[in-house]
Amino acid sequence: MSTYVYGIVRADGAPDPATLTGVGEPPAEVRLVRGGDLAAAVSTAPEGLRPKRRDLGAHQEVLVELARHGAVLPMRFGAVAEDDSEVAAELERSAGHYAGLLDRLADRVEVNVKAAHVEEAALRTVLAEDEELRAANEELRAAGGGSTAERMAFGERVSDALAERRERDAETVVRPLSEHAESVVLGPPVGGCLANVSLLVHRDRLDEVHRAVAALQQEKGGLMEIRLNGPLPPYSFVTPPGQAVG
Amino acid sequence: MTVMQQSASRRGGGSTGLYDVLDLILDKGLVIDVFARVSLVGIELLTVDVRVVVASVDTYLRFASACNRLDLSGSDSVGLPDLVGGTVERGARGKSKGMISGAAEAISDTFRRDGDDEKQPARRRRSSSSKDKESDAE
Repeated sequence: MSTYVYGIVRADGAPDPATLTGVGEPPAEVRLVRGGDLAAAVSTAPEGLRPKRRDLGAHQEVLVELARHGAVLPMRFGAVAEDDSEVAAELERSAGHYAGLLDRLADRVEVNVKAAHVEEAALRTVLAEDEELRAANEELRAAGGGSTAERMAFGERVSDALAERRERDAETVVRPLSEHAESVVLGPPVGGCLANVSLLVHRDRLDEVHRAVAALQQEKGGLMEIRLNGPLPPYSFVTPPGQAVG
Repeated sequence: MTVMQQSASRRGGGSTGLYDVLDLILDKGLVIDVFARVSLVGIELLTVDVRVVVASVDTYLRFASACNRLDLSGSDSVGLPDLVGGTVERGARGKSKGMISGAAEAISDTFRRDGDDEKQPARRRRSSSSKDKESDAE
C-alpha cells in the first residue's frame, strides 16, 4: 500500500490527525508517521489519484490545518512513497535539513500576490502611450476592421506592447511589497498576470502586508487587479535536502 | 490562533482561493526525490499554456477587435492618469476578468476532464472573423 505525503512537521507540535480530511473519495484518513523528532502527515494513497479539485483542496487544507499548529514543510501535490517505512526513513535520513527548514519557517507564512492588468484599461494605456499604434488602430477601424492578416499583425503589436507594459508594471508591484517580506520568490505569469510574487512574512506582519496590498490596489486604480492569497503554507520557501535552507 | 482562517474559510463555495494558488500547490512545495509523484498528465500544461495563449493568433485577433471597439475619443487631450483613473474605471470593472479567466478556464478544463467539475467555466467565443461578432467571453 503506497503512502501519500502532505507535509513534514515537528512530532511534538503536531495536531491530532483524526481532525484532518485526506485526499481521495471517500477521503482517506490522515495519520502521522514519525521519524526521530519529525513527523509526516500521510494517508494511504488512493488508487488512481489524480489532481482533481477535491484532492488539491484536501492537500491544501491538511497543510493549512497543520500550519495552524506550527511550522510545516508542505509537499508539492502528489508525493507518494512506497510505504510508511520509506517516509520514516526519509525523515531520519534528512532530519538535519528538515529541522533547519522548520526553524527558519517558524512563525512565518507565505503570502502570494497576483497582479493582472484589467485588459481594457491596459489596452487603452498602451494605445495612449504609442501614437503609431493608435494610428494603426484608426486605420483599421476606418477600413471596417481590415483583413484578417492586417488585424493579426496589428494584434501582435498590441500583444507585444501589453507584454512590455506588464514587464514594466511588475516591478512597481514587486518592489513595494518586498519591503514587507523576509524572502521573496517570483512565480511564473500564470493567467497572464504581470506579477506573481510570493512573500515569506512573519505572522506579526500579516496585517501590514494586507495594508500594503490594499494601498497598492488603490494606487493602481482601474489598471490592475491585485489579489492576495494567504496566509498559506510556505510552498515557495522549502528546499529539498542537499540544497541550502535559504 | 486564527491566522489561517482566511484561506481555510474558502473551502466551501467559491474555489477562487484554490484556483489562485494552484500554481503553488502543483509547482512549488517540497519535492523529495525518493518519493514518486502521481501522474499529472494535462495539468502540468497550466503554467505553460498561459504563455502560449497570450501569444496565440486568437489573442491577436481578439486584441485587434478590442482596440477597434475602444472609444478613444479625446484620448489625445486626456492625460494618462485621468484616462486610467477616471473614464476607464467604470467600463473596466466588468471586464476585469479578461486576462485571468483564461487560466481559470484552462484549469476548469482539466478539472472537467476528470468529470469532477460542477462549475461551468465562462464560455469563450474565439471566432473573430466577423467584425460585429463579439470575440471575447461575455
